[in-house]
Amino acid sequence: MSSILEFARGPLFRLCFALMILGLARILFLDVWGAYKALRKAGDKKMPWKLILSRTWEWIFPLKRMKNNFHFYSLLSILFHVGLIIVPVFLFAHIQLWKISVGIFWPSLPFNWALILTVSTIVFAFLMLLGRIIIKPIKELSKGQDYLWLLLLLVPFTTGFICVNFSISPGTYQLLMLFHVLSADVIFLLIPFSKIAHCVLVPLSQIISGLAWKFPPRTDDDICTTLNKKGAPV
Amino acid sequence: MRTNQITDEERLKAFKSVKKPEVIDKQKLGVRYHVEDFDVNDRPRGFLEAFAAILKHSNYRMVLEHFSRVSARCSHCAVACQVYQATGRREDIPCYRSELLLNVYRRHFTLGGLLKGRIASGDYLTDEKIREMAESFWNCTACRRCALECPMGIDHGLITHLGRYILSEIGIVPRALVVSTREQLEGPTRNTSAVPVPALKDTLEFLEDDMFEEKSVKISFPLDVQNADYVFFPAVSDFLMEAETLMGIAAVFRATGDKWTIGTGYYDGINYGLFYSDRILERVIKNIDVETKRLNGKSVLIGECGHASRSAKYFLPTFCCDKTASPVLNIIEYTYKAWKDGKIKIKPDVITEKVAYHDPCNLARQRWIINQPREMLKSFCKNYVEMTPSGENNICCGGGGGTVSIDEIRPYRTTVGGKLKADQIRKSGCEVLVAPCANCKKQLRELVEDQGINCQIVGLHDLIYKAIEFDVPQPADTEELSNGKGVAQKEGK
Ligand code: SF4
Ligand code: SF4
Repeated sequence: MSSILEFARGPLFRLCFALMILGLARILFLDVWGAYKALRKAGDKKMPWKLILSRTWEWIFPLKRMKNNFHFYSLLSILFHVGLIIVPVFLFAHIQLWKISVGIFWPSLPFNWALILTVSTIVFAFLMLLGRIIIKPIKELSKGQDYLWLLLLLVPFTTGFICVNFSISPGTYQLLMLFHVLSADVIFLLIPFSKIAHCVLVPLSQIISGLAWKFPPRTDDDICTTLNKKGAPV
Repeated sequence: MRTNQITDEERLKAFKSVKKPEVIDKQKLGVRYHVEDFDVNDRPRGFLEAFAAILKHSNYRMVLEHFSRVSARCSHCAVACQVYQATGRREDIPCYRSELLLNVYRRHFTLGGLLKGRIASGDYLTDEKIREMAESFWNCTACRRCALECPMGIDHGLITHLGRYILSEIGIVPRALVVSTREQLEGPTRNTSAVPVPALKDTLEFLEDDMFEEKSVKISFPLDVQNADYVFFPAVSDFLMEAETLMGIAAVFRATGDKWTIGTGYYDGINYGLFYSDRILERVIKNIDVETKRLNGKSVLIGECGHASRSAKYFLPTFCCDKTASPVLNIIEYTYKAWKDGKIKIKPDVITEKVAYHDPCNLARQRWIINQPREMLKSFCKNYVEMTPSGENNICCGGGGGTVSIDEIRPYRTTVGGKLKADQIRKSGCEVLVAPCANCKKQLRELVEDQGINCQIVGLHDLIYKAIEFDVPQPADTEELSNGKGVAQKEGK
C-alpha cells in the first residue's frame, strides 16, 4: 500500500500535474492566439478596454452582480470557490511536499483557518450538489459531469479532513490518503479537458466577447463567394 | 429561484401560432413567424455548409471555442432573462438556448466531436434541431442582459446573433425583416418603410409648417446640404410615426445653429443586419457611408433608435475600414452636449406628468448612453421617477433584436417578452415613459395597450420639443435659414 501511495503522490502526481499545466497552457495559448488572429482580421481594431477591464474586475469581485440579481446558488458557488482554491495551495502539509521535492515554499494557512475552509468547502459542495438536484433551472441544465465534478472535488477534501482530524488506524489512514492523492491526480489530469478549464480561461472572457463583435471587413463578399451566392437577391 | 411567471392562459395565447398548418407542412418548419419559401431539402447539410463558411470568414470560431470550453451550466443567466422569468421553461434558459448551437459546433467543428461522431455515429444535426434553433433564437430579444450575469462571461446575444445568421443563410429568417431589407437594399425607395422621396418631402414640409405654428419660429429640415456637420439618419419609420421626435430634433438644431442635413439619396438608419446577418449589416452600413460621403458630411448622426445607433457606431468603422469612416453619434449625445453648453433653453415647468426613462438595450448595455438623457429629463420634468433595475442592467422592452417588427408574434412579445417591463412600468406608476428608440417605442405602445396600462410612450425629443424655448423670432427665421435651406424653400414654395 505504501509503495502505491508513494507512487501516486510521487511520479504519478508529477505526471498529472505536468499534464495539467501543459494542457492548460495549450488552451490558454489557443485562446490568446485566436484572439490575436481575430484582432488582426477585424475591420475595426479599437477595443473598449475600459469596459472590458471593468467587467473583468466585476467578475473577480462579483459584488455588483450579486447586488443586482441575487442568486442563492451564486453565493454558494463563490463561497465554495474560496476554499477550493485557497486550501490546496496554502495548506501547510502541501507546501511541505513541495519544499521536500522541488525545494520551493511559500507562507501557509494557520491550521484553524485551513480547517474552517476545508469544512466550508465540503459543506458548500454538498449544498451545490443539492442545488443542482432541486433548483429547477440548474437541474434542467445539468449534465452527468456536473454532478460528477462536485463529487470528485469532494473526495480530496473529505479524505484530507478525516486524515488530519480523526485518529484512525494507520491502514485506514493510508487507504484514505491513497484516495486523497489519486483523486487529486485525476482532477489535475481532467482539468484541461473539462469545463474546469474555466480556471484559466475565464479572465479572458470579456476580451473574447468584445473581440467577437469585431467583424472582418469583407464579410459579404467572402461569404457570398464561398456559398455561391454572388449576385443573389436579398 | 425568483420567477414572475405568466398564467397558463397567457401561455396559450403567447405561443399560439397563426400560421396555416399547410404552410408549416410545406416548409417543414414549425415556427410561429412567417418565413418565405425556401429549399427544404437536406437542410442540415445546408446549415453546416453555411456554418462552415461563416466560421471561415469571421471571428466566431475563437468565441465558440472559448464559450464551449467554459460553459458551466450554473443557470445564473436565467435570473437575468426576462423571457425565462416569464415562462419558466427550460427552453428559455439562456444557456440552454446557446447550448443548442454550441453543441452543433462541438459535434461538427471540433476534433473531439468529429471523432465522437465517427465512433458513436450519433448526435448528427437534424431537421428537428434546426427547427428548435429557429424557434429559440427568435424567442430571445438579443438584449444581452444575461451576459452581465454569467460568471463565465458568455454573451448569449452574440450566440443568438450567430444562430440567426446561419439560419438566414439557409432561408430561415422572419419574412417581415427580409421583405423590409429587400426594399432597403434593392427596392426603388431604398428604405425599410418604402417611403419615397416625394412623400418624405411632403411630410417634412408639413412638419415645418406645424412647427412654425406652434413655436412661432421657422424650424427646418435641411435636405441634401453639402458639407454639413451632421448627416442625419433616423429610423425611417420615424417619418411616418414619430413626428414629435423629429420636430424636437429639428428644434434642437434650430437652437444650436449647427449645419445638419437629411440626404435624399439614403435616409434610413435601420439595419436589420444587426439582428440576423453580418452580410446584410455590412451592405446597409455601406449605404450610410456612401450617402455621408456624397454629401461630404463630417459626422453620421443617428436618430432616436438603439439598434441603428449601435450598428452605425460599432460597424461603420468595421466595414469602412477604420480610417475613412465618419464619426458616429447618437442624437442624444448631440443634444446633451448642446444643452450642457447652454445652447438650448428648456422651460422647467411644462412637463408636469410623472415621467420615467426606459433604457434601450443597444444604448445602455455597453454603458454608452445612460446618464445623459436622465440628467436632461430631471432638469425639466418635475415629477421624474426611476425604474429599477435600469441603465446597464435595464430590462428589455421585450421587442428587441428585431422581434418587434414581427407582427405575428405580438402576443408573445406583449405577454412573455415584455412581461417584466410591463410590471416595472406599473410599479413605477409613470404616466409618460420616455423611450428614445423606434423599436422600443413600438413595442412599448403595444405592450401598454395589450396589458391595459395607462401610460404614454414618447421619445426624448418629443418632450424637449414641448419644453424648448426660443427667443423672439430673428430675421433669419423668415429668410433663408442659417443651417441650410428647408424643404419648402428648396422646392421653391
Ligand atoms: S439576450 Fe436577453 S432575451 Fe436573450 S437570453 Fe439573454 S436575457 Fe434572455
Ligand atoms: S450563467 Fe453562464 S455558465 Fe451559467 S448557465 Fe448561464 S451561460 Fe452557462
